Amino acid sequence: MANQTAISFFSRWLEVLFNYRKHTGSWAWILHRITGLGLTIYIMIHIIALTGLLKGEAAFNEEMALFTSPVFLFGEWLLGALVMFHSLNGVRIALVDFGNGARYHKRILAFVYVLGVLMVAGMAYLIFLH
Amino acid sequence: MNTYKFFGSRNSGAKNWYLQRISGIILVIVLIGHYVLMHATPDSGHTYKAVMERLHSPFWKGIDLTFVTLGLWHGLNGTWNVIRDYHLKPWVANTIYVLMILLGLTFWFIGLNTILSF
Repeated sequence: MANQTAISFFSRWLEVLFNYRKHTGSWAWILHRITGLGLTIYIMIHIIALTGLLKGEAAFNEEMALFTSPVFLFGEWLLGALVMFHSLNGVRIALVDFGNGARYHKRILAFVYVLGVLMVAGMAYLIFLH
Repeated sequence: MNTYKFFGSRNSGAKNWYLQRISGIILVIVLIGHYVLMHATPDSGHTYKAVMERLHSPFWKGIDLTFVTLGLWHGLNGTWNVIRDYHLKPWVANTIYVLMILLGLTFWFIGLNTILSF
C-alpha cells in the first residue's frame, strides 16, 4: 500500500517535472534542489566519517586509505561536481536576490554552466592525475 | 510550533530566506579554503598528524565549528524549503519539521564532539 502510494507520487512528480514548460532558470532550480538534497545527506555522512579521528591514529589512517581508493576518488569527483553547481548557482541566486542579478541572470547561468564544466574538468585533473 | 504561512502560521519564512543566503555566501568562501587545503594539496589534508595540528589551534576549531553549524543549518533549512513547496497535511509537515530539528541537533552534537575532543 505505502509502496504503491510512493510510486504513484513519484510518477506524478516526474509527469509534472517533464510536462511543465521550462524557462531558462527552471533546470537551474531543479538541479539546485537535487544537488542541495544530495549535499545535505553528504554532510551527515561526512560528520559520521570524521568521528574516526576519535579512534586514534592507526584507525584513522586505515579509514583514510579506504577513502583514497579509486571508487571513493570517483565519488569525490562526483561530489565535487554537485558542490560546484550548487555553489556557482548559489552565487547566482544571491546576485538575483541581493544585487541587480534579475537583469542578467540568464548570462550568469551560461557563466555557471561553462565555468562549472571547466572547474569539474580541472577537478578531475587534481583528483586523478595530480 | 514554528511552521509556515501556508500551514496556518504568521511566520512568512523571510528571516530564514535571508539567513539561507547569508549562510550560503559564508559557506562558499569557507569552501574555497576547504578545497585548496583538502583536495588540491592532499598531503596537508589527509594525514592524522596534519589534522591533529589544525584541530589543536583555536582558529581552525572556529572554522570547523562554523562549517558544521552553517552547513547543517543551510542543508536542513534548504530541505525544509523543498518540503514546504508540497501541499502536505499540517500534522505531516509538523512531524517532518520536528524530526528534522532532532536530526540536525544529533549530527551537530556528533560534529561538535569530534571537534572539541582535541
